[in-house]
Amino acid sequence: MGRFIIRRLLYMVVVILVVSFITFGLMHAVPGGPFDAEKALPPDIIKNLEKRYHLDEPLVMQYLRYLNAVFIPQFSSEGLTGDVEDDSLVNIKITDTFWIKWMNFGPTFSSRSRTVNDIFRQQLPISVQLGLNALFVALILGIPLGIISALKQNTIFDYLSMSIAIFGVSVPVIVLGPLMIWIFAVTLKWVPATGWGAQPPYVLGVFPSDLGWKYWEKALMPSIALGLGSSAIIARLTRASLLQVIREDYIRTARAKGVKESMVIVRHALKNSMIPVVTILGPMIAALVTGTFVTELTFGIPGMGKYFVTSITNRDYPVIMGTILLYAVFLVVANLLVDIMYAFLDPRIRYD
Amino acid sequence: MRSKIFVVAGLFIVASLILSACQVTPSPAAEAETIVETVIVESAPQTVVITTVPEAVVPAEEKKSLTFNFGVGDVPTIDPSLGTDTSSIQVAVETFVGLTRLNEVTNAVEPGMATAWRSVVNEDGTETITFTLRDDVPWVRFNGKTVEQVLDEEGNVRLVTAHDFYYGILRTLNPETASDYAYVLGMTLVGASAYNNGETDDPTTVGVEVLDDFTIALSFLEPVAYNPAIAGMWITFAEPQWIIEERGDKWTEAGFFQGYGPYVLKEWVHDASLTMIKNPFWPGTDNIPVPKIEEITGLMLDQSPAMAEYETGNVDMVSVPLGDIDRVKTDPVLSAEFVIAPHFCTYYYGFNTAADYVNDVRVRRALSMAIDRQALIENVLKGGQEAAQWFSRPGLAGAPTIQTHPDLGVKSDAEAAKTELQSYLDETGLTAADLDLTLMFNTSDGQRIVAEAVQQMWSDTLGVNVKLVNQEWKVYLNTVRSADTPQIYRMSWCLDYPDANNFIREVFAKNGSSNPFTDGEPSGGVHYQNEYFNQLLLEAASESDPVKRVEMYAEAENILVMEDAVIAPIYWYTRTTLTKPYVTRTFSTGGQEYFEKWDVNMEMKSEN
Repeated sequence: MGRFIIRRLLYMVVVILVVSFITFGLMHAVPGGPFDAEKALPPDIIKNLEKRYHLDEPLVMQYLRYLNAVFIPQFSSEGLTGDVEDDSLVNIKITDTFWIKWMNFGPTFSSRSRTVNDIFRQQLPISVQLGLNALFVALILGIPLGIISALKQNTIFDYLSMSIAIFGVSVPVIVLGPLMIWIFAVTLKWVPATGWGAQPPYVLGVFPSDLGWKYWEKALMPSIALGLGSSAIIARLTRASLLQVIREDYIRTARAKGVKESMVIVRHALKNSMIPVVTILGPMIAALVTGTFVTELTFGIPGMGKYFVTSITNRDYPVIMGTILLYAVFLVVANLLVDIMYAFLDPRIRYD
Repeated sequence: MRSKIFVVAGLFIVASLILSACQVTPSPAAEAETIVETVIVESAPQTVVITTVPEAVVPAEEKKSLTFNFGVGDVPTIDPSLGTDTSSIQVAVETFVGLTRLNEVTNAVEPGMATAWRSVVNEDGTETITFTLRDDVPWVRFNGKTVEQVLDEEGNVRLVTAHDFYYGILRTLNPETASDYAYVLGMTLVGASAYNNGETDDPTTVGVEVLDDFTIALSFLEPVAYNPAIAGMWITFAEPQWIIEERGDKWTEAGFFQGYGPYVLKEWVHDASLTMIKNPFWPGTDNIPVPKIEEITGLMLDQSPAMAEYETGNVDMVSVPLGDIDRVKTDPVLSAEFVIAPHFCTYYYGFNTAADYVNDVRVRRALSMAIDRQALIENVLKGGQEAAQWFSRPGLAGAPTIQTHPDLGVKSDAEAAKTELQSYLDETGLTAADLDLTLMFNTSDGQRIVAEAVQQMWSDTLGVNVKLVNQEWKVYLNTVRSADTPQIYRMSWCLDYPDANNFIREVFAKNGSSNPFTDGEPSGGVHYQNEYFNQLLLEAASESDPVKRVEMYAEAENILVMEDAVIAPIYWYTRTTLTKPYVTRTFSTGGQEYFEKWDVNMEMKSEN
């Protein structure tokens, strides 16, 4: 298992490099640049801006400059200089005048005083919190609903559960969100309509430090709205998978041996039926925790999701690279976890 | 196996979050607030924990406060040298004050930091304006608890001086600053363009001169009417050299920021909100009074959630989303809070006058006159916009108005449109169906509904079938400035400084924003070359008789939209806003509000 994980982590480096290369190529191939605006800027002004962000250099140079800043640890005589150009995610102090800095994702073109690392530090934790909440909602709703409808197939419970699932899939956040706001915030005034309750510093850099009502009054609606769609997918997958597993030979064997029905379901059927669910959980987690554009926009949550979209419309190259690489890392890591889970769920799967 | 534990532990953490939520939490009234900030002290990073107790002396209800919405997305910058958008400039004009200051409603030039100015036209045709500054305005900062005056090394209060304005202007022009709006100074100030494009790095060649601590002289290339307005633009504001040199680009962050306007930056939660607090050291002048409202908070919400917050009472003013306008107009409460105010932007369709069919002025005129602007406004736009008869928004200095020039420019006239087109068709032997025309707009629902309505009008009135094509915004911007500019394309323009020159000349004269030239030939946009038109605009800019000046612009507008029909102006913008009845306010036409003139009735607010 250990060797498998190490091998996969090495693959990950390759994957990230390939992703960075393709993203860099694609974003520069798209017509239009970061400084095109409704009011055309004179060439002199564009020249100054391009020089500032090194966009006047050949593309190969720009790419190498980026790789160097992001992947290669740099040595510096200064710690945090406050200079926007010099903002690294990892700063290790060796001595007062010798620092190792790593992962400088560069400036943002849309905001002069902020860097891509600022976005990671300030916006990513909020998206992770929302994403984990939504994931929790998805699991706590989706798995029981799927089990009930599989065990009580073609009964009123099955139909009811699957109706909820279909509702969850077919009513997107863009409809559900404003509806929830209208009912619970505007009409009933139970919760605020927008905003996010957690503030830095975060526990472990990610989790909210105060989990009182001040946090949940703002987190409940978006978490449920976002989780509902995913819960529906999980419920349907759980149902289909469980229905199939229940008809397997080893379940019949277990029953024939006289194992209690509840044990048959929990120990044997459920565990094996989780494989498809776990499979989609990988990409689902990566998608949820790196930010969700519509949910964050609808509920006015200052998360990452917006940057995935606006960076592309603004041709904000460093932010495009940063968000895509971030997503790639989350996806690769989540899929690695999924593969490891396989071995746990299905004894037939072995990696060594 | 470790990963199993990890997943289980992860779920456990999430579950514990939910459980702990059920605990009763104390009322958050006067909780101590802990702010951890990383402060850079001589290259050694330190984490300083500042514990502040919100001033509990004055109950929160009694402090006058106001919340509005910037719109979705972080405020890009509050650095005066760098601002290009409404939100950035909004914060800049409240935290700084220019040499002059525009009246937000009438757009008249009023005193700002300069109490008086004197103009001299030099022998070489340039104009030097000498500004006398106030000597009682200190630099201030918010220190986490209150607003305090900034002291210099000797412990004296730092006053805003001519040197700070000099530094600000030179910093805007410095090529390393890479300021977008430096080009406005480049066009107007002596020597500014050469300094900005790196031809010279000698700051003394720029037409800015400090005469003494409170006197500064600016030399302008042309003696034009709008020079004092340029001197009030955000790109010329005084800037705190000491803090910018110390903090670099981060100087605009809360904690570092220093300003001197009626408000000071208090807190900036990126992507969420920005709060400004009253500057108690602002002396208060006739046109820039001491603020009555203690705190102004701008949220960064999309239109619909902002509307919801307005209805729940958490936001005091909001712009109305298109989808809500019909409901707002019929709602008895909301309709009373609803105001449509003019906004200085123009929406137009440009013609590529070098492209097939639209290279004939009769076709362009026919298309322009066949647009029923009033119907478009009433049925599609719904925001009380004004039908545009020409390009420069009325209300700008030099621009004609509907009152003085009711028949100027282009009006919707189906019969005249048919006659114009028929004359072209008869001469060329074509039929209306032969005209292969394309209208391009940037991908957006707002643009699409306008384009579809206009397409229908052209089809109904002229029998012309126009194809609709859309492109993603940045791709579109490149297309409409290239030789491949489509026959008809949509664009809009908003004010930088309130003068007709900023509209008609900066957009459509040779090398304007929508009329680029390469090697002396039109190379994109409207592809429009008319020497008389260019000369007329040049002369109008420096005409000193205001009445004559308006007539010159009226003539130019008539050439642009009627004689040559280079564009079809469609509408003049308005802003549709809802404001709570307990807010006393003004309605700015340029886009920036002057909150120091506003008031909030807190008794009424708490009842709301």
